[in-house]
Amino acid sequence: MNISLKTALKYLLLGAVLLYPLFAFSSEYVLHVMVLIMVYMVLAMGLNIVPGFCGLLDLGYVGFYGIGAYTAGLLTIHFGLSFWVIIPLAALNGAIWGVLLGAPTLRLTGDYFAIVTFGFSELVVLFLTNEIWLTRGPLGLPGIDPVIIDLTWLSTLIHPEWIWYWEFIGLRPYFYLGLIMVALVYVIMSRMEDSRLGRAWFAIREDSIAASSCGVNLLTYKVIGFAISAAIGAVGGAFLARWTMFLSPDMFKFWESFLILCMVVLGGLGNFKGSLAGAAVLIALGEILRIVLPQLGLPTETRFLAYGLIMVLMMRFKPMGFFPAIATQSQKNPILIKLKKELGSSS
Amino acid sequence: MFEQQLINGLTLGMIYALIAVGYTMVYGVIQLINFAHGEIFMLSAFLAVTFITVFGLPIYVVIFMTMGCCALIGVMLDIFAYRPLRQSPRLAALITAIGMSIFLQNLAMIIWGSRPRPFVQEALPAFLRTPALSFGEATVSWLQLTIFGTASLLMIILFLIINKTRVGTAMRALSQNRTGAALMGINVNRVISFTFALGSSMGAVAGIMVAIYYNTLYPTMGYVAGVKAFAAAVLGGIGSVPGAMIGGIILGIAEALGAGYISSLYRDGIAYAVMIAVIIFRPSGILGKSTVEKV
Repeated sequence: MNISLKTALKYLLLGAVLLYPLFAFSSEYVLHVMVLIMVYMVLAMGLNIVPGFCGLLDLGYVGFYGIGAYTAGLLTIHFGLSFWVIIPLAALNGAIWGVLLGAPTLRLTGDYFAIVTFGFSELVVLFLTNEIWLTRGPLGLPGIDPVIIDLTWLSTLIHPEWIWYWEFIGLRPYFYLGLIMVALVYVIMSRMEDSRLGRAWFAIREDSIAASSCGVNLLTYKVIGFAISAAIGAVGGAFLARWTMFLSPDMFKFWESFLILCMVVLGGLGNFKGSLAGAAVLIALGEILRIVLPQLGLPTETRFLAYGLIMVLMMRFKPMGFFPAIATQSQKNPILIKLKKELGSSS
Repeated sequence: MFEQQLINGLTLGMIYALIAVGYTMVYGVIQLINFAHGEIFMLSAFLAVTFITVFGLPIYVVIFMTMGCCALIGVMLDIFAYRPLRQSPRLAALITAIGMSIFLQNLAMIIWGSRPRPFVQEALPAFLRTPALSFGEATVSWLQLTIFGTASLLMIILFLIINKTRVGTAMRALSQNRTGAALMGINVNRVISFTFALGSSMGAVAGIMVAIYYNTLYPTMGYVAGVKAFAAAVLGGIGSVPGAMIGGIILGIAEALGAGYISSLYRDGIAYAVMIAVIIFRPSGILGKSTVEKV
């Protein structure tokens, strides 16, 4: 066994994060921030598909987040559906809106797409605020049930007195549920990246003329990308709804889209692993600024000054983020490593 | 009622048109949606109020000073943010634009605070609030007439600059073919900076007029007005200056009538809906060139 120090540290860190909620000294606040980070990790990975993989700017991602959250919230309140049924329904609803919005507009140049997505997310917020009969408007939507794992049908089958019924209370179950969600999205993303779909997206991003002459149907692949991205955003929203148990239109303002975009940019466009780091760094930074800024006598909203600056500077100096995906992958390529060794030994 | 809404809409539309011109000129020249343009509009209102309250200058001087300052901000924005990215993919420039917009907005929040404040009414001539004309139930105030007149005058000046001067010819050349223009001896960067300066000074006048018209200014005002003006630019056909004027007026009237007759809750939504509908059904707008990606 030869595990390098770096890998060992990596696993140690992962283990520490995994076990953190079980320690006695774990604070509710840190757990809350960690669950929040996980929600944003999912969103950042989902958003990365559109600007990162397809090279289109999506300024309205929060619209799908909001659609997913309100879908989950309303279905829970009015129909009492289980979390496990709601997740696919929310994802489906997000994807439907993604297709409806994407199919007519993705034919146009990227600039138009950016502004249409922005307008869409603003319309979603206006709808959520004004259609009081459905969403209760600015009052918000309280009283959403927490996540429930109900396996009584199975347990009573095995033994009539066993009741496997577990209602999520506190943050710890959500921490692990969020972790599962992040892991699942991560696996889906990494599978997609190397699939036919991912290669088509990269081809569109790098050179759409070449891609279409190689038989990639630009519109179809862009719409698929946008719909998948929307579906992932909706899943994040559904999780948020069942976790916070309260929704209000203010949670889905344009700022959120911008924050998620900033995470993607910080982590590197087209590098969904970087988005994980971007989400963690920016949420942590946001929490720090939330404490620091009032002490300087500034409103907490001004933390977006830092986010704006981050985006401008990243685009200027590190347009592919701190972990450029292509460069690192080629460095790890065994053929290249072998070639380098041979070349090094011969010279 | 209808006439009054029409007049209000027309006033609003003239202001939108002034902002939209800035978007459309920059887009025509460097194919970039300058999201920060709305923030320049907002900064102009704050700068004007600061000049009046701190230095006690008369409004006529303040307007020209603000125009100059905003032109300078626009040029600096181009030099520091967009010029280094001329050769980068468009996505990078777009993200920079949105980043600058958020940056400037929060900078204003830090400098002037986030609460809305009224415009300094004492600095304005008193006759502006009095009605100038009235027919039937509708009245037109001197303020509305002034806005209408100023905006029309600026549009005419802009039209003359673009069509009759050397730099205007250079701008048009640049929008057709940047490489070709550079080969003909046009200083590309200088012309682009001039475009930013021109657009920003138009936005500056619009900012002051909105602040006076609604008697309120706040750091996020540029964001809504910016999107609406962009919608106007899209409606008229992006890249086309007369289109931006027509689009602004149509959008202003549509918004006033929509808010009056459909639902005032969806006042801002009308602009977004118009924009999305135009982009879906007629992306080239009323007067623009075709923009569908053919490949």
